[in-house]
Amino acid sequence: MQDELAKSLVQGLKSAGINFVTYLPETRLSQIVPLIRDDAEMELIAVSSEQEAVTIAAGATLGGKQAAVYMENSGLYVSSYSLLTVGKQLGVPLLLVVGYLGGVPDQRNSFLYATIGAHTIPLLQGLGIEYMILEDGEKLEEKIQDAVRAANALRAPFALLFAGEFSV
Amino acid sequence: MIRYECLELLAARMADQLVVTSQSGQRIEWAHLSKHEGNLLVGMMGCAIGVATGLALALPHRKVIALDSDGSVLLSLFNLATLGNLRPKNLVVYVFDNGVYSGSRISYPTATSGNTDLEAMARGAGIANARTIRNIETFKAEGLGALERDELGFYVCKVEESLMHREIPRPDLDLAENKYRFVRYLARTEGKTIPFMGRG
Repeated sequence: MQDELAKSLVQGLKSAGINFVTYLPETRLSQIVPLIRDDAEMELIAVSSEQEAVTIAAGATLGGKQAAVYMENSGLYVSSYSLLTVGKQLGVPLLLVVGYLGGVPDQRNSFLYATIGAHTIPLLQGLGIEYMILEDGEKLEEKIQDAVRAANALRAPFALLFAGEFSV
Repeated sequence: MIRYECLELLAARMADQLVVTSQSGQRIEWAHLSKHEGNLLVGMMGCAIGVATGLALALPHRKVIALDSDGSVLLSLFNLATLGNLRPKNLVVYVFDNGVYSGSRISYPTATSGNTDLEAMARGAGIANARTIRNIETFKAEGLGALERDELGFYVCKVEESLMHREIPRPDLDLAENKYRFVRYLARTEGKTIPFMGRG
């Protein structure tokens, strides 16, 4: 991902009101980590598993934060339990910022992640989590705002899957 | 040591603390003992410490308590490493360790009834103030004393298996009702707007 796109992504998160981010780093969007870390208006929390990335972000949301979880799509499988129980059943809005590896729009098209990519959309559908696939920076800020508004309205996680230009 | 007795002592000390419970008999017992609006009765194993950590980070001036079980902690051991590095000073975790999966109704043993030591694991993960409590007097002194300290506390409370929770009525709040009550209490006492609330 080009640096300008990373800056736009983080600016989009800020414009949407995101002020608390839990994460387990991955390869495609990793440039956003130092940008969030160095932003005084955002709190960045490193975790050891995507499952607790979700529960910690959920706790922060209940405490008044507008929280996002940044992870690789493999983390959706790891965190599916907490996404379903805390995210969906308890009804806690979360923005999921997901590196969409191994799917058709992943321009690295990694053989290693192809199976993970192929099952990502069915997994989200199975969990009943709404999602949007982003392949370029067009109207990025608006799309992130749309996603956060949808998460709040649904009282549920909403996933933004980043591929295409974001995966280069 | 009996879990219900510990919870009775803890309930008597509640003021404006926030309490997050995991799934197990303690959730039922705590809901029976405390009707406080600051209770969040999370009904899933392995999620309470994470939710409590998020609350503690979002509200660093507020004491947050997690009530958890050995089975739940074993299901989410990654929490220990994260807590050991974050060390939120306003979080106290009580793990009521009865050495069995009581909810299984066959009292199948957990790993802590064998060779596994949660205090040692917590210390190894970086939680400096991890203690094992084996009697009610120590719980009163050290366990409840944590409420007054400005330090992450992780207390493994060794308790006998008790089936008392099966005789107690289950909480009369459903999850969503509990969540909204909890969040409105926080909005009122913190004077802040919760982003996903009040837009009906």
